Amino acid sequence: MKSRIFINVLSLIILLSATLGSCTSAPTMPIQLASFTENDVSVSIALEHPSAENYFLSATFTPPDGYHLYSKDMPVHGINGLGRPTLFELTANSHIRASGELIESVSAQQLYFEPQELPVYPLGAVTLSLPVELLPGKNWVNDELKITFMACSSNQCKPPVEGKIISIRVPGAYLFENQ
Amino acid sequence: MNKKIIIIFITAILLACNFLFPQKPTSMPESIARRTEAASQSSESENLVSAGFTIVRLHPKGDLQTMLANEAQKAIALKQMPVVEFDATWCPPCQAIEAAIKSKNKLMLNAYRETYIIKLDVDEWRWKNGKVQDFHFNAIPVYFKLDSEGHQTDDVIDGGAWGEDIPENIAPVMDEFFHGG
Repeated sequence: MKSRIFINVLSLIILLSATLGSCTSAPTMPIQLASFTENDVSVSIALEHPSAENYFLSATFTPPDGYHLYSKDMPVHGINGLGRPTLFELTANSHIRASGELIESVSAQQLYFEPQELPVYPLGAVTLSLPVELLPGKNWVNDELKITFMACSSNQCKPPVEGKIISIRVPGAYLFENQ
Repeated sequence: MNKKIIIIFITAILLACNFLFPQKPTSMPESIARRTEAASQSSESENLVSAGFTIVRLHPKGDLQTMLANEAQKAIALKQMPVVEFDATWCPPCQAIEAAIKSKNKLMLNAYRETYIIKLDVDEWRWKNGKVQDFHFNAIPVYFKLDSEGHQTDDVIDGGAWGEDIPENIAPVMDEFFHGG
């Protein structure tokens, strides 16, 4: 009889622990939304929540050693056709809305070699952040982003990635408001 | 009886919580590679014949290997070495080399002597997964020496062989590639 009570109590404790664990699974920051590597450039997309009611979608682009990326402010088709900007954008179908301009983690600079009119980021990774408004509520929604980049060294280029569509799932703002 | 109800109730909450609060995002990117596909199907070649070397651009029309074999025969007839160069309009280093040739930079003209350069635009020739047909490469510009039948040889050089993209750096390396051992 005692052992049966013990087993029942133990079962209840296990179930309760699992239940509490699920219900308190508020997202931790930053939330990794997607990542991929194409043409030797790694891209990692995350959602950040640095302060109340402030949300940022961020994309970190990491080119191979010795390679640089081009400024987000370059024309989509390059300057005189050369180079491609580093961009991530919400698509026309996106549920979330941008609440500001794209922010770069490092400033672009002019190339020290020809053609010098091309603005590039310093060698290495660059992170672009976009302030966004999340949907109200607690549901996660399917969304998509558009990614563009191209990596070159002083003497070689990898092929550009232009307007690549990336699927993500984004949480509603309610999840963060109750943290 | 009560215990069964409690267990069912808790299980229901557990399932509901997992549904409402997913542990982590599960979405991953779909690999929807979108590449600019050059529409040009022109067979016109833009030839540049200069003192002692030839530059030809081939556009997709028919079998690449057959076209290369034809060009290799032309090169041999001119006593020039057939070389394939892959480039692109968006590639600054490629355009820097082209500009140096067009501006008749003496170092570059000397390095290119007795060569027959067959230019292929990687967008027109659909560079995918690091290859254009049997040519494998991960960055441009890249040069492949051809034999007299237009087949690629083991002699390959790319922009990584020189430093900053200026004729003073490029020309000696290209000269050695074209004319060395």
